[in-house]
Amino acid sequence: MTRAAEAAAYQKDWLKGLRAQITSGASFAFVNADTPHEIFHFMDMPMVTNQWWSAVIAAKQQAPHYFDWMEEAGFHGHLPKYSSLPLMAQLEGDASRQPWGGLPAPALLCARQSSDEHGRIFRRWSELTGAPLHLLSAPGVADPAPNWWEMARENWEELYGTARLDLLQAEIEELIVAVEDLTGRSFDRDGFAAYMDKIDRMEKMLGEVSDLIATAPKVPMGISEQMPNVMIPQWHRGSDWALSHVEGFRDEVAERIEAGHAECPNEKIRMMWIGAGLWFDTSFYRAFEESHGAVFAWSMYLPFASDGYIRADHGDPVRALAARVSAMNEQLHQPPWVNEWLVAQAKKYRIDVALMLIPEHDRFSGYGSLFAKRALERAGVKVIEIWSDMVDPRAWDREAAVAQVTQALDEMEEMA
Amino acid sequence: MTALEEMLQAFERRADGMRAEGAPMVGLFGDGLPEALIHAAGARPVEVKAPPLADATAGPLRPEVSEIAEPFLDDFCARFLHRLAAGAFDHIALLVFARDDVAAQAAYQYATEMRRLGMLPSTGPCLHLWSLLHTEGAAAQRFNRTELDRLETALHKVTGQGIDAQALADAQAREARRMTSMARLAGHAQAFMLRNAGRWLDAAHHADLLDSLPTPAVAGGRRIGIVGTACDLPVLQELAQELGHVAADLTPYGDLWPGNHAGPALAGDLIDQVATHPLHLRANPASKFDQALAEGLRDCDLVLAAVDRNDDGFGWDLPALTALCEARGTPLVMLGFRPFRPDTAWRDAARKKIAEVLS
Repeated sequence: MTRAAEAAAYQKDWLKGLRAQITSGASFAFVNADTPHEIFHFMDMPMVTNQWWSAVIAAKQQAPHYFDWMEEAGFHGHLPKYSSLPLMAQLEGDASRQPWGGLPAPALLCARQSSDEHGRIFRRWSELTGAPLHLLSAPGVADPAPNWWEMARENWEELYGTARLDLLQAEIEELIVAVEDLTGRSFDRDGFAAYMDKIDRMEKMLGEVSDLIATAPKVPMGISEQMPNVMIPQWHRGSDWALSHVEGFRDEVAERIEAGHAECPNEKIRMMWIGAGLWFDTSFYRAFEESHGAVFAWSMYLPFASDGYIRADHGDPVRALAARVSAMNEQLHQPPWVNEWLVAQAKKYRIDVALMLIPEHDRFSGYGSLFAKRALERAGVKVIEIWSDMVDPRAWDREAAVAQVTQALDEMEEMA
Repeated sequence: MTALEEMLQAFERRADGMRAEGAPMVGLFGDGLPEALIHAAGARPVEVKAPPLADATAGPLRPEVSEIAEPFLDDFCARFLHRLAAGAFDHIALLVFARDDVAAQAAYQYATEMRRLGMLPSTGPCLHLWSLLHTEGAAAQRFNRTELDRLETALHKVTGQGIDAQALADAQAREARRMTSMARLAGHAQAFMLRNAGRWLDAAHHADLLDSLPTPAVAGGRRIGIVGTACDLPVLQELAQELGHVAADLTPYGDLWPGNHAGPALAGDLIDQVATHPLHLRANPASKFDQALAEGLRDCDLVLAAVDRNDDGFGWDLPALTALCEARGTPLVMLGFRPFRPDTAWRDAARKKIAEVLS
């Protein structure tokens, strides 16, 4: 059994437990991906992440039904889909169609106002379920340092700004009080410091894995296998299981490299997948290995573990958490952060081709795409634009996308 | 030139019609910063989000902008960037972008990034992000005060002075007078243009011009509410006037401005009031917006709604708005996606939709 399969099995088992907890009436939080999950984990409050639940519904091929219903219900067709699919499933009302038979009402809702839709989507959740809504502020960054990942681990106070961190820290403290009230447990600050330290150790190990894959002669593990090895421990970050799993993942990658293993023995072209996962068609990631020796070496989830999460606590772990969260999503989407980071990653991973997911109706994810394209092309990377949504397959034409990539790869071969 | 002609010209020419003479000009992209604060620092505010009307046919198209502007980029943002690259704002000392405006953060980020990459010259106006939070609570209030300090520093760099308390009080008094003058003309057939012309006119002069117009007859017919995303043209207003009169225009270029910037004469108190104004999509608690929208439409007997093609905020409220209107027995006409510059065909289609709902 590979480490990825072990992670998937662990997650399946853990989710059974979570489902049992939730469906038997345990209080749980429903939160966005870029919120401080650490508070819920540490306080042992069950939590469901909006975007994860969205991916689960999409993977069960339910998204077209809900998005058709969404428009029939009066929402217009250009609204962002990734963050709204769970709301649509809930509003549609047929719980039997949903995974787990649907979610009961959460006890708490939490979102960051990193884009305009989140406040409105979670407002509707709150209205639907009666759950209190904690909206975290996301003020803009006036002077974003292009080399954010070099500053973020230690020098985050300067990078994110004292005023922004004061604000988010205060809002996280309010969230802590709300979770204390719901769980009846006190927030142990010393214990939280130790927990945050374990998270940093885990993310550093994932950084080591990233270094290994980037510098390996051939890609030892494709992104389909990387993703569960990263995303599932990331869900459980700081737990003993997560640390142990990541240690094993690191060792497995090192062993594969040592043994000369190549995911695609005929590897000629290294590719990066830019954007969230194509959750309804993950087999697309391996579609070009046999035909062109083109293998996906990079997706954001592994390298972002170290660059996006490691934050030295400097004696104040809640503030370090604020630093982790304060620009989490913005770093992956907004210029100059995203373009500079992608170029650095492409160089590090020796990338030849980038496939860039551009979701037209998701402004937060779609904006900044052409800055990233320009920067990558200037760094010598061929960029192929994939105009699609992460969870809405209605306009996805797999054959056309394969043909588009095939043509670009053919042209590269001819020029080689 | 008559007062009416002067206001219509200001509305038509917008920032291009303002001459660079006297106090330095400060451009504002998005409604989030009271103009009185700019006056109080010795500068002149000028709206830069809405392009001149001639831009629709004769505006610049710069290849360096087309290279990085996604086809779905907000139209206000895209047109601003093309104009910025063409030097349209070179006579402005400072551009301030209100982060909580739908298009402003992208406009700021794209403009600053183009400069950083050398795609735009480093000359031209300074760029400043104004991150006022529309959130209640002590932490947000503290943050907003630091933003006020940052703004004052930026203004000081271009005017050599900070925000003067007396000048702010004077500016607020002029704004109050302008609002009184405008209130008398709320039923004017061209009220949308008369009011928004003030974005490119001195408040006292604007009030003088408004005061010179005769009071319009009391408007009759249906009382129509207008909701949706930002449109800097009186498209829906003109459709409404074919059926009655606009009783409530709750869109970003609607009745809100400059009333959303009215209030206390102390700078800190003033921004607290702007921050807690309920009719803002990013208002937190989020329920405030819904309640304000419902209250604003209370006396309407027809509601027209339209959004732009990349709306990701207002659209979440449409089913709830539909339910509200149904409960009140008020027809709601959803006019769909409104182009940036709607043509005759779109207007005809809108008329047809309205007729269908009312039939």
